[in-house]
Amino acid sequence: MPRSRVVVASLASIVIGAVFLAIAGWGLARASSPDTPLVATRIGTMTHISDGVASRVPHVALKLSTYPDALDNKEFGGSSGAHPDWVAYSNSNLVVPAHSVVTITLSQYDSGEKLNNSYFGNVIGTLDGTATLNGQSFTHVDPDHIGHTFTLRSLPSKGSQLFVSVPLPAADGADSCDPASPDNTICQTIGEGYYTKEPNVITFSFYVGDKGLYQWNCEYPCGGSRIGQFGEAMSSFGYMSGTLTVK
Amino acid sequence: MTTRAHASRWVILLWALITLAGVLTGLYVIPWMMPRAASHTQHVNILTMQIFTIAAAPVMGLVYSVLAYAVKFWRFRGQGVPPDGPPLRNHPRTTGIWLVVSATLTVFLLVWGLALLASDFTSHATGEDITVDVVGQQWVWNFDYTTIAHRGVKTPELYLPVNKEVVFDVTSKDVVHGFWIPSMGIKVNANPGAITTVSVTPNRLGTYRIRCTEICGLNHAYMVTRVHVLTQKAFDRWLATQPTRI
Repeated sequence: MPRSRVVVASLASIVIGAVFLAIAGWGLARASSPDTPLVATRIGTMTHISDGVASRVPHVALKLSTYPDALDNKEFGGSSGAHPDWVAYSNSNLVVPAHSVVTITLSQYDSGEKLNNSYFGNVIGTLDGTATLNGQSFTHVDPDHIGHTFTLRSLPSKGSQLFVSVPLPAADGADSCDPASPDNTICQTIGEGYYTKEPNVITFSFYVGDKGLYQWNCEYPCGGSRIGQFGEAMSSFGYMSGTLTVK
Repeated sequence: MTTRAHASRWVILLWALITLAGVLTGLYVIPWMMPRAASHTQHVNILTMQIFTIAAAPVMGLVYSVLAYAVKFWRFRGQGVPPDGPPLRNHPRTTGIWLVVSATLTVFLLVWGLALLASDFTSHATGEDITVDVVGQQWVWNFDYTTIAHRGVKTPELYLPVNKEVVFDVTSKDVVHGFWIPSMGIKVNANPGAITTVSVTPNRLGTYRIRCTEICGLNHAYMVTRVHVLTQKAFDRWLATQPTRI
């Protein structure tokens, strides 16, 4: 075979391989982010003190929910995905501005049981180390009565250091809401789901620094019966884990 | 046409050059490639890698020099299938030297490795040292300072005082994780339902990386945190600011 044809064939192989990899990467990137990102709403400014220096920074808010099934992800423009019966957050991909204070208000509609690691019964990494539960400030809760946790972290090599973990206590009465035998005195219909009228409302704030992609997940083992209850919803993007994009 | 003298000269020259390159690699490249040592354990790891590299250098040099000479001078340049070469004959002295050198190197490395293995797992902890429960859970590490003076302090990042031995009791709450501090030369599996103990004495101030080394699920890549090695005073100050955790 002439040398020129060998060179052309080699280059063509490299180009075809590169195109194939690009298509595969693009497809995987799309597949990993099925939900429409939830962009934080700006509600004002706050004074933030870092290393003894006070500065005014944007204050933004996110409103989330946790449900015993994924049906109502659609409430915020998300998708219930391939497993509408799995436990889920209302949104998995969150977007906030860099160098801002983020306040998350989370309505917790799910029941729960005992954490397998009591550490995640603590409020960690929030402003002043506290959160509020139905308006009452708290630093830790009973680890035997937890619905989910919101646990957010960064990679040490990228962006600002960030670790936030807040327990979401189980909602009393959540197990009583069976659409097959409805009781509208304690339960309500939200979208396609039937949930307690008295979710636990947890509010917490934290400061985010540099731009970057951060990751969150639930640390209460709520992923079905597989892998020590860390399977299913716990091991799939879009249910009990997601991303926080700071930009 | 090559002679035995010609072959010997070339092989010895090549062997010397390759061996020198291997020795220089062991002395200078290995410490550069491996993480900066932050403990005696990692110093020993680097020294071990240097010794293994230097010990392997003459063996590698002999193999590659004979191979290079054969490729250059004994290559068959004719057409078709090359004719069979002369039969191999026994050469007792060469065989003896080869066996003695190989056995000596192997026994040396075996003894070195066994001695290290024994010393790595020997904790010299006293009542003044620190015990930390290291708990892996998809996909977060948390550290529980269990000794009396530190009871109730739990953190997502590890803080240690310099030049004080730390005993890690490593376990997992779900699947198998791997607790690895590259700069300190310790790496053990975190197994659910079991505690693996390993100790280290950090001897250099700084911040180093902790990684999970067992592929443990969806966000394994994010199961990374940091260890801060502080002076005793800075460590005490940090400890005083830590809230008690349940």
